[in-house]
Amino acid sequence: MLKLLQIDLVKLKNYRAFWVLNILYGLLIVSIPITVMEFLKWLKLQGADFDGFDPLKIPVLYFPDIWQNIAYVYTFLKIFLAIVVVISISNEYSYKTIRQNIIDGMSRIDFIKSKLATILLLSIGSTLLVFITGMLTGIIYTPNVEFAEMFTGIQFVFAYFLDLFTYLVLAFFLTILLKRSALTVFILLLFTPIEYAITANLPEALEFLIPYFPLHAINNLIAFPFKKYWFQEIQDYIAWEAVLVVVAYIVLYVYAIKTKLQKSDL
Amino acid sequence: MDTVLSIKNLTKHYGRVKALNNLSLDVARGNVFGILGPNGSGKTTTLGILLDVINKTSGEFAWFGQPPSKEVRKRIGAILETPIFYPYLSATKNLQIVAKIKGASVENIDPVLKRVELYERRHDKFRTYSLGMKQRLSIASALLCDPEVMILDEPTNGLDPQGIAEIRELIKEIAKDGKTIILASHLLDEVQKVCSHFCVLKKGNLIYTGSVEDVSKGAVTVEVSAEDDDLSEILEAYEGSTKVEKDGVHHLVSLKEGKTATELNAYLFSKGITVSHLNTQRKSLEKQFLELLAESDNA
Ligand SMILES: Nc1ncnc2c1ncn2[C@@H]1O[C@H](COP(=O)(O)OP(=O)(O)OP(=O)(O)O)[C@@H](O)[C@H]1O
Ligand SMILES: [Mg+2]
Repeated sequence: MLKLLQIDLVKLKNYRAFWVLNILYGLLIVSIPITVMEFLKWLKLQGADFDGFDPLKIPVLYFPDIWQNIAYVYTFLKIFLAIVVVISISNEYSYKTIRQNIIDGMSRIDFIKSKLATILLLSIGSTLLVFITGMLTGIIYTPNVEFAEMFTGIQFVFAYFLDLFTYLVLAFFLTILLKRSALTVFILLLFTPIEYAITANLPEALEFLIPYFPLHAINNLIAFPFKKYWFQEIQDYIAWEAVLVVVAYIVLYVYAIKTKLQKSDL
Repeated sequence: MDTVLSIKNLTKHYGRVKALNNLSLDVARGNVFGILGPNGSGKTTTLGILLDVINKTSGEFAWFGQPPSKEVRKRIGAILETPIFYPYLSATKNLQIVAKIKGASVENIDPVLKRVELYERRHDKFRTYSLGMKQRLSIASALLCDPEVMILDEPTNGLDPQGIAEIRELIKEIAKDGKTIILASHLLDEVQKVCSHFCVLKKGNLIYTGSVEDVSKGAVTVEVSAEDDDLSEILEAYEGSTKVEKDGVHHLVSLKEGKTATELNAYLFSKGITVSHLNTQRKSLEKQFLELLAESDNA
């Protein structure tokens, strides 16, 4: 497995778009909390008046709120990494290198494993970055940090990992199906609006199916957290059902990728 | 016979197209085996199945007496159709990938690049290579694992005469190392120049298999020149000749089967003629090939 990862990394390490997208993604992750805090400070400086309320007192980036908040926001950035995955796989088709890899002595399963290894690495790397950014942001901005609070809600970092990993495996599956990068990215971008349009118009009798739609399943891992700032109930835990559905989807995607690759002439 | 590859009743259908029909074939160790056939006859399809990138419809094959697997493919160096590499990577990086896949040592990379004369350009991106260089890199890649078998699909396609000669030289050299080579081509001349054995495919059917030597056996044609005005008549009078033609400066004498240039020379000498030029022409594979194709049409 490690060898297969190394092989895929040689292919990616020297590919410019890989670095451009990763760096862009990393910069966004690091800069979002800084921007938010600086914006709140600026608001305060401008003397913005929220009925005498100090904007810096909104605890969006304070422990323990921070974990669910950033995990939720960062999931909107995953398209950058999905594009990395799409390009890395569609290139193998357009250059026909998938064919040569197999001629040279990879099995089709090895090929899948090598791409999954890269996806896993991207997901773990990204999760680590989110964890470190969250920790530092929390420590810097939270007034009177308490050790116990720092790790409350840390499970959302894991949910972020699962969310990202599932989405990237979905991107892998779509690329194997469609082969062309532009088309796949286009479909990936349209996926959300289409799926939400479908679920919004579902007859009431079928509404129980909504959590089982592919993107709903992923999005159900981390509930929208900001409602609590206008004093509404939020789901501040990860539902086990959501985790189960997502894991089932991962298994399904990988199985579909395997079946599709084994049937096709390369 | 030490069989490297044995194929039994291999068949591939693309929808209604029968790309390959019940092919059975054996390739022995050390052979340079040519797969000959016109465009679309199923050469690439056959090799693709043997290398597991194309799924067969039915039939079987075994490499080294073993069922196909990735381990078996690691002992084979192969290129199908065109050189395939990552265009944005250098030759060295590309070969690193191949070496990792094949479990070959990266130490082999520099020597094989030197062998195909790409060592100076090893850090340039594949994209910037000329067609001949790309073709040579794929041979380097096939050599990387010191393979027991090399598979080449039209390795001289699109090259200039010098490039063609270079690649053929390289193939002959590799064959001298005792490697088994399987070479698909529609160039008869190429197969005749480099192969020891060959088969002919037509529309997915095997219509001939045998050794190149056997084909070249049988009746031969001899080129003769001598400074003698009566040469034509004397040649015509020779009981071993079936036909005499004048081809510019030389006379072309078609001999009866079993007769050789030596006997012709002795005959001429006995008639008081010393030849200034004597050359046996092997019957060209091209003729044989066209005959085979014509026969199969009639059948
Ligand atoms: N992917 C495919 N889908 C449908 N038909 C195919 C496919 N690949 C090949 N064929 C058909 O199979 C037959 C054999 O093709 P193949 O590529 O094996 O020929 P070839 O002998 O290699 O020809 P060439 O000398 O032109 O390379 C042809 O009739 C071709 O049209
Ligand atoms: Mg071909």
